[in-house]
Amino acid sequence: MDNRLKQDALIEEALNSQSLAPMPRSITADVMARIQKDTRPALITWNDFALSLVIALCIGALFFTLQNLPPVMLVKIRIQGILLYQSFLVNMRWLIPILFFGLGAFLAALTIPMLYQMMVGRRR
Amino acid sequence: MSDNETTLIQKAQKGNHEAFAMLVDEHQRYVYNLALRVVKDENEALDLTQETFVRAWTALPNFKGQSQFRTWLYRIVTNLCYNRLPNLRRSLNDLGDDVMEDIPETNFNAPASEFENNETRQHLHRAIDALDANYKLLITLRYQNELSYDEIASTLNLPLGTVKTGIFRAKEQLRKSLVHLEDSWITA
Repeated sequence: MDNRLKQDALIEEALNSQSLAPMPRSITADVMARIQKDTRPALITWNDFALSLVIALCIGALFFTLQNLPPVMLVKIRIQGILLYQSFLVNMRWLIPILFFGLGAFLAALTIPMLYQMMVGRRR
Repeated sequence: MSDNETTLIQKAQKGNHEAFAMLVDEHQRYVYNLALRVVKDENEALDLTQETFVRAWTALPNFKGQSQFRTWLYRIVTNLCYNRLPNLRRSLNDLGDDVMEDIPETNFNAPASEFENNETRQHLHRAIDALDANYKLLITLRYQNELSYDEIASTLNLPLGTVKTGIFRAKEQLRKSLVHLEDSWITA
């Protein structure tokens, strides 16, 4: 026990006495040169701005189209929407079995690497 | 964090390059040391250090001061090390947390005479250098960068138990190497 305590003390002393590695050279100048080139990203980048503009234009175009459609067309669209929803409800009973089947297939696929490793291991 | 450092950080957040340069000057040695201990290559460690500060500059406006600035830097450099050594993250997670009791703290009051044997010290330093990257990361953060266990856990995003286990196992490896050294003395 005494020996273990002595070992502990030696290890602690060695860990604490390890000096920091000296730097071969200062990197301050390199870092400053790089950050002067790489400007900080602004709150909104040009990509964000372009994407927002496209989305806003799409929403605007949709709104404009709906406003200018003849009433008969609007009614037809609404009927199609109701039919689509009904069709979804009819097929809904298949949704849960299909989800389970998909999950089962996914889990089965996950076992492939393990089976492959077992197969390779057996060959060896 | 000292008032001076807080002022420097605030200035750097507003885009003051001189303030950031002073922060780089102050912390680069510790960041470099951590990177070097993990990647074991001077040039790569310098690259990582430089990249850490460039990323810190970019992310500085998001630094809210919830952690210490240096801890924040260590987190960045550790993430960069994870990119360089993909197995490092996994090996840290795999440590588990079976050492849940408190590890006895350092006996700083031990007289220097207890460590009279320079050879033992050098042997242990070599053994520390030979530790796996995951242990070396934990040991460096604890003993050279002087972080608490909680700070290490938060920096590495690991459970506290895993940090304690890692440090405990690293010390056990050092103990084994010490036993080997003692055995070699007996047989010599």
